Amino acid sequence: MFDLALSEAGAQIILATSSDDKYPPEHMIDGKDETFWATCGLYPQEFVIRFTSLVNINSVSITCYNIRDIKLEVNSDDSQNFKTIEQKEFQSSDSAPQIEDFSFGNVKAQNLRVVIESGYDHFCAVYKITVNGTAVH
Amino acid sequence: MPAVIRAKCIVVGDAGVGKSSMCQLFSSDGAHFPKNYTMTIGAEFMIKPVVIPDTQDTVELYIYDSAGKEIFSDMVIKFWDHPSMVIVVYDVTNESSFSSCEKWLERVRSQKPDLMITGVLVANKIDLDQRRLISPKAGKELAHRTGLDYYECSAKEMQNVDTPFYFLASEYYKLYHEKLEMFKACVA
Repeated sequence: MFDLALSEAGAQIILATSSDDKYPPEHMIDGKDETFWATCGLYPQEFVIRFTSLVNINSVSITCYNIRDIKLEVNSDDSQNFKTIEQKEFQSSDSAPQIEDFSFGNVKAQNLRVVIESGYDHFCAVYKITVNGTAVH
Repeated sequence: MPAVIRAKCIVVGDAGVGKSSMCQLFSSDGAHFPKNYTMTIGAEFMIKPVVIPDTQDTVELYIYDSAGKEIFSDMVIKFWDHPSMVIVVYDVTNESSFSSCEKWLERVRSQKPDLMITGVLVANKIDLDQRRLISPKAGKELAHRTGLDYYECSAKEMQNVDTPFYFLASEYYKLYHEKLEMFKACVA
């Protein structure tokens, strides 16, 4: 099992609803803890990670700040039919990032969509998202 | 590529104080002043990009010009989730529009009680100097008490209408940068 959502491993962000060049969405999958993607105001916000191939997801971990309601969705082909696999309200954190883990049985996915439905402030940050799993053979 | 920051700007106040005139004038760069009164039903929506001076960046204002008639109040409140900023407008010749300001502000702020929402109080129709009932002093006092910045304008004379919008855009831009520093600090 390894991190499928690393740009080094070929994962790509194919959509993000905020883009400040200094804090691009690619920062979430660059393997670094301190770089981040910033949302630029308004809710909801979302991003879609495309894996190199069809994968089985076992767990997802997100390091972020100011996120309140979040939704994870996947699809197993390139259609627009995303299926919700997790929905959660995060607790607010004062001066440390929020770190949240989700475990799944085996969820098949080609794309992972993360929707930030609301936040504790006007702006949110996502430092890192790791997706553990294996490629489907 | 320059950054685009987005903000939801809620415009409230009693019916007939000039909210729609201000919004339409601002969003059309002064090209459009509604000469006849049309009561707003629900909310009118417009988007206006504001370039922040000395930067390449833009704050896009998503303006919700809300109906002032009480009969629509349940309906307009539905448009107000996740407000970023608020503009409370009153008519300087109309006392009751002035005394309603706190009620309007409270309604918007109660959408997100934990969140700091930047706002301005705008005294409109200052061209009607002879009929003016609310003094600048009274306006400033209310603004101060409620944590708003005070502006005067005349939508009819196209005077000072843009200023409160520009002020809010620039405050929001500052806030974004403060938050970025915070995001950096919390993993440093």
